[in-house]
Amino acid sequence: MKPKALAILSLVALVASACSSSSATTGPKVVKIGIELPLSGAELPNGDPTLKGVQLAIAQHPVAGYDVQLNIKDDALNGKHDPQTGATNIGQLVNDTSVFAVVGPFNSNVAQAEIPVSNSAGLIQCSPANTNPGLTKGQSAIDLRKGSTKIAYVRVATTDDIQGQAGADIAYNVAGAKSAYIVDDTETYGKGLADVFETTFKSLGGTIVGHDGAGANQQSDFTALLTAAKAKNPGFVYFGGVTATGGGLLRKQMVDLGMASIPYGGGDGISDGSAATKSSFLNVAGAQGDVSSYMTVAAISLIPNADKFKADYKAKYGSEAGAYSASGYACAQIYLQALAKVGSDREAVRAYVTTTSNSFDTVLGTITFDANGDTSQHIISYYKFDPTTKDWAFFEQKDFISGKVTMASSAP
Amino acid sequence: MDAGILTQQAFNALTIGAMYALIALGYTMVYGIIELINFAHGDVFMVGSFVTLWLLSTLGVQGTINDPPTLVAMLVVMFAFAMTVMGLVGVVIERFAYRPLRNAPRLAPLITAIGVSFILQNIIQVTFSNSPVNVPRVIEAQAGATLQLPQFAVGSFQVTASPVTFSYTHIFIVVLALALMVALQLFVGRTRLGRAMRSTAIDREAAQLMGVDINTTIALTFFIGSALAGAAGVAWALNYGTTKFDIGFQTGLKSFTAAVLGGIGNTTGAALGSFLIAFVEVFSSQLGYSRWSEAVVFAILIIVLVFRPTGLLGQRLTERG
Repeated sequence: MKPKALAILSLVALVASACSSSSATTGPKVVKIGIELPLSGAELPNGDPTLKGVQLAIAQHPVAGYDVQLNIKDDALNGKHDPQTGATNIGQLVNDTSVFAVVGPFNSNVAQAEIPVSNSAGLIQCSPANTNPGLTKGQSAIDLRKGSTKIAYVRVATTDDIQGQAGADIAYNVAGAKSAYIVDDTETYGKGLADVFETTFKSLGGTIVGHDGAGANQQSDFTALLTAAKAKNPGFVYFGGVTATGGGLLRKQMVDLGMASIPYGGGDGISDGSAATKSSFLNVAGAQGDVSSYMTVAAISLIPNADKFKADYKAKYGSEAGAYSASGYACAQIYLQALAKVGSDREAVRAYVTTTSNSFDTVLGTITFDANGDTSQHIISYYKFDPTTKDWAFFEQKDFISGKVTMASSAP
Repeated sequence: MDAGILTQQAFNALTIGAMYALIALGYTMVYGIIELINFAHGDVFMVGSFVTLWLLSTLGVQGTINDPPTLVAMLVVMFAFAMTVMGLVGVVIERFAYRPLRNAPRLAPLITAIGVSFILQNIIQVTFSNSPVNVPRVIEAQAGATLQLPQFAVGSFQVTASPVTFSYTHIFIVVLALALMVALQLFVGRTRLGRAMRSTAIDREAAQLMGVDINTTIALTFFIGSALAGAAGVAWALNYGTTKFDIGFQTGLKSFTAAVLGGIGNTTGAALGSFLIAFVEVFSSQLGYSRWSEAVVFAILIIVLVFRPTGLLGQRLTERG
């Protein structure tokens, strides 16, 4: 049995080496970037533009000697991002030996399920959108890495501690509200965002008149919660969560209860396309529901050469770039630069990307990663609903480096 | 204290409770007659909301209907259609998934019920969407009657009263649900077919010996239970203007809990349990503890079952030989 198995193994090795040597002479080596994003249902408007950003980067930045392809996995098979599915997907990507790096995931609770898998396999992940601080910082991050000192997860999005601050900044300074009511969806992302909003809003001088959470079985009916909130006359309602966990319905039911005039805000979880996009926040909230709705995105909108990027995206796909398209593009650029530098060995790519002294020239600007894998950019973009285009309109972005608020631009 | 807010919340609870009750009745009727926990029942309700969506888009209804006669006609059509279709779906489910297993061990039909639940969810996911879908609301959502309660003070204790809004949609749902529940009570209590249902529930063999057609009676029970779930589906669509393939699981779980709390097998108990759960949920939210509402609901369920294992109005177990 054993010699036979050995013989087969050596045969396989021979064929494999023959293949690789022949491909080296006849054409570029096929390597893959794994994609792990929500690509179905309510979350398609999140995942799809991000994926297209990656594809655009690969098309625009060929690496000599390599044919870069994708291995695409969807973690929202049932219409909502699912950590279990994410963990299964990342396991499959680990098993595909041609995958040298992964772009994704999109959601923080999915990342929690994936990081232990990718970290122990040494397969680098770059998330375009994860914003939960615990994924990279503190004891929770050490637990996710199972005590390993190796970093195999980086992100180009900044974190919720900054995005929550930005939300409070919008409520207090842009909308001019002195009191706020907070609702979160009790998930990792939503609760984290809502808690930071609460602390910051208070420190700015505002009053929190209530903070409640609606779990998975309570995300259809907010009538009772809103009746209680309405009695407290909040100047602003902030939602920590995503459209699929009730963000749109909450706004819709505010309108039903005559609370349409109260400004509403949320994080990037409600940034999922215009009112015409099926199942997006603006679509679910309805035609009037979005009057004075705000949201923040943990990404840069005023990117260097923004016009070129947007034009290239539109030329290729015929639609506007999404809030995280450029972030997906940047993740892919980082991998392509690593591939050109150190080749397609997983460990070499991981080590190169996570070395803090290496910097990457991306569509978002120059990025370096700190010892935790967090980006050097701490920029949040502010958006407001535009009733004429029925879509989100960017109006300013702020740089939150070391807690200092600096205005980068204010032209809407 | 604000009496207006409390009245408003009580009315919110009545509306939610009415929808739970329409679904809970189906769980309790089926359990009463064949002692099966029909896990697919919540999904029958969910399909009811999608049948309504299909009907409205087929008829080309885009939104609010403001002409009263047209609105009434449309509501009649919506309920008649959804209730008939879902009633028939219920009969078909019983015929193919439960009847062949009627004498099999208890676990077998329980598993087929779960199977049917997944099949219904999958059908909707594939034919419609796996994300929330907007349904046109034929009744203007913001319209309603406003009531100003008197304000008064007892000593230094001020009772204020913000205006209470009784949305027409909510009034309609509560009245409709109560009417259907009364009709069901009369049907089960006063008619020949109702007597056949009750006798089958008490002792199937004896009923058969007395000339009751068991198969027809059980099919009838499924028809009525599923039609009520269909009505709940329409009510849901009217109320929220949106539906999703998994609402049957969430809402079905609460309705099933309501049926157990009230005493499974007892129709009045199902209604009582539903309103109780709705009140607990709504007043948890009023106090700012939405995130605890499920824990409170199930804590109450456990306490009730510890002291009354058959539920609040449950029949004594000896009654079923």
